[in-house]
Amino acid sequence: MSLAVEASNVVKVFGNVRALDGLSFAVRPGETYGLIGPNGAGKTTALRIVSTLLLPTAGTVKVFGLDVVKEAGEVRKVISYLPEEAGAYRYLSGWEYLEFMAKFNAKSKDEVRAMVMEAAEICGLGERLKDKTKTYSKGMKRRLLVARALMTKPKLAILDEPTSGLDVVHAYHVREIIKRYVETHGVTVLLSSHNMLEVEHLCDRVALINKGRIVAEGAPQELKEKFGCKNLEEVFARVVKIA
Amino acid sequence: MLKGFGTFLLKELKELVRDPKILLPMIVIPLVMFPVLGAVMGYAVQTAQEQAIKAKLIVVNNDGGGWSNSFVSFLKRLNVTIYVVNNTKLDDKKVLELLSQHNATQILEIPKGFSENVTAHFSNPAVKASLRFYSVLAGTSIFEGTGSSVIDVLINQFNRAVAPDVVYSEKAAVIKGEIKYGVDPAVVSGLLMSQSIALPLTVLILLSYAPQIAAASMAIEKEEKTLETLLTLPMDRLAILWGKLSSSIIVAAVGAVAYMAGYSYMFSSIMAGAPASLNLDLASLGLVPSAWGYLLLGLSLFVAMISALALAVILSAFAEDVRSAQSLVSNIYPLVFVPSIALIYLDINTLPFALKLVLFAIPFSHPVIASKAVVMGDYWTAGLGIVYVSAFTLVVMYVASKLFATEKILTAKLKIKGLKTRRSEKPAEEI
Repeated sequence: MSLAVEASNVVKVFGNVRALDGLSFAVRPGETYGLIGPNGAGKTTALRIVSTLLLPTAGTVKVFGLDVVKEAGEVRKVISYLPEEAGAYRYLSGWEYLEFMAKFNAKSKDEVRAMVMEAAEICGLGERLKDKTKTYSKGMKRRLLVARALMTKPKLAILDEPTSGLDVVHAYHVREIIKRYVETHGVTVLLSSHNMLEVEHLCDRVALINKGRIVAEGAPQELKEKFGCKNLEEVFARVVKIA
Repeated sequence: MLKGFGTFLLKELKELVRDPKILLPMIVIPLVMFPVLGAVMGYAVQTAQEQAIKAKLIVVNNDGGGWSNSFVSFLKRLNVTIYVVNNTKLDDKKVLELLSQHNATQILEIPKGFSENVTAHFSNPAVKASLRFYSVLAGTSIFEGTGSSVIDVLINQFNRAVAPDVVYSEKAAVIKGEIKYGVDPAVVSGLLMSQSIALPLTVLILLSYAPQIAAASMAIEKEEKTLETLLTLPMDRLAILWGKLSSSIIVAAVGAVAYMAGYSYMFSSIMAGAPASLNLDLASLGLVPSAWGYLLLGLSLFVAMISALALAVILSAFAEDVRSAQSLVSNIYPLVFVPSIALIYLDINTLPFALKLVLFAIPFSHPVIASKAVVMGDYWTAGLGIVYVSAFTLVVMYVASKLFATEKILTAKLKIKGLKTRRSEKPAEEI
């Protein structure tokens, strides 16, 4: 069976900035894989390349065997991407927004309805789905967007900082949504975060990324044991220092 | 005095003046656009005056009496370029023949009995001598009736020298090869301009509304952070472009209809109080577009609209937010405003070659040019304009589709430093 994501020697250059510098990693089907690192490490660029938004300057990325450059259209059929700073259309209700998004993946009206019902269940916004999204709090909006990303049951969900900017309650809720969904539907998840504790809680395996390169990779427990640290934050500090 | 008002005002002014996005459309463009418009109009006025003076006048003298000869001599003394034809019976066919034969646009007929009537006027002021003036209405310029006005001035001067109101003229307009008696080309020209102003105005409104809507809708996707998600959906990216263009056209068209409904109500209110002599029926003179003309006009407007919208979408792709996008789009306004306003008053066919070339090169001139051309039955000008704007639109659409097909739609940005522009492809958000 092909890998869910296979990134080989990916380089991305923006003007004078080398955002990715030979990044390589592999995500197995059904696992939750986390890219962790500080701001500016290259996490978002890596996820944008996997989700066909950016083109790599060099190297290759394959999603379930499909090349993200040559077969971008096919890749888009099997992925669902949640950007870090995603928004929803202000003058659509939550329900209308989900319907709009579902129509791109669904083949029939029944399928659209099923996806929206699924999203309603995931986000738990209840009656508030009838309100325009401009009335939502940041946390509510994020729950809606996470539900949107998962409702299509994508083969690969790409989540960039899924709990970024959320308070403890909403962040907890979003994390639970992801965890529950992955367990129930066997979706592969590639996520990024600079919140090491969150990654430890969610991910089967993680890659520590710094200056566009992977500096360590493995299961959270494995990394902690290997470097003799209490948590991933300490692992990261040590690895960066070593690297 | 409000506490803190002065400090706050100073900060606001600094921010506004230093923001090139405001400086350019609010100050620089009007400073450039209106002088350009003035220069175009001034040049056109000068050319029209020169043409009116140089215009050849055919004088058909069917009277041959003393007063008619005096009138001809009077015209010659005033350096009017005339060509005299004696004793030629004028019917419609002959008038057209003479005009074509001498490549002229005006005929002044001195009918038999002219000298007799002038002489009779001295004993009975109720008797007056008439002249018949034929003038070709070839275009829709504000200067189209100049010839007719010049004749009125000449007759007035003659009357001043001989006797008040002794000579008067009966006007006839030659429109699309047909002679319309009792129709003064100057009045028709004025009426045509005032009534046909609606079309260029609609063009002006549509071409300024729609690109703003398209630019804003594209920029909102960026500002509200919805574009990234959209670009990863299993959909054709050109569907986004066409969706933006189509919705902008629909909204702008509804806006234009509302605007024009209000405008025509205002116009009919003004016309209701106008003298009856102004209520000439342009339809009976054949000066309204035919169904074919309307079709060409619609097509011309459509392709110009698509090109303006595609241009707006391309420009807005370089903006990070709605305000920046609208400022960028306002830079194309001079290309919409200058031709539209200038061509309301001027007929492109009467303009000097260089100016004509510039106006033809601007794609947004063509709906206005077409709106006037189809009135005069000139379908070639309208048709060729459509072909040219379509070609321009195809190029713009090609660029727009390339932009949408690549990462540039997400990463392209126009950085304005001073008045210099350069492109950066570094994304705004975190790397």
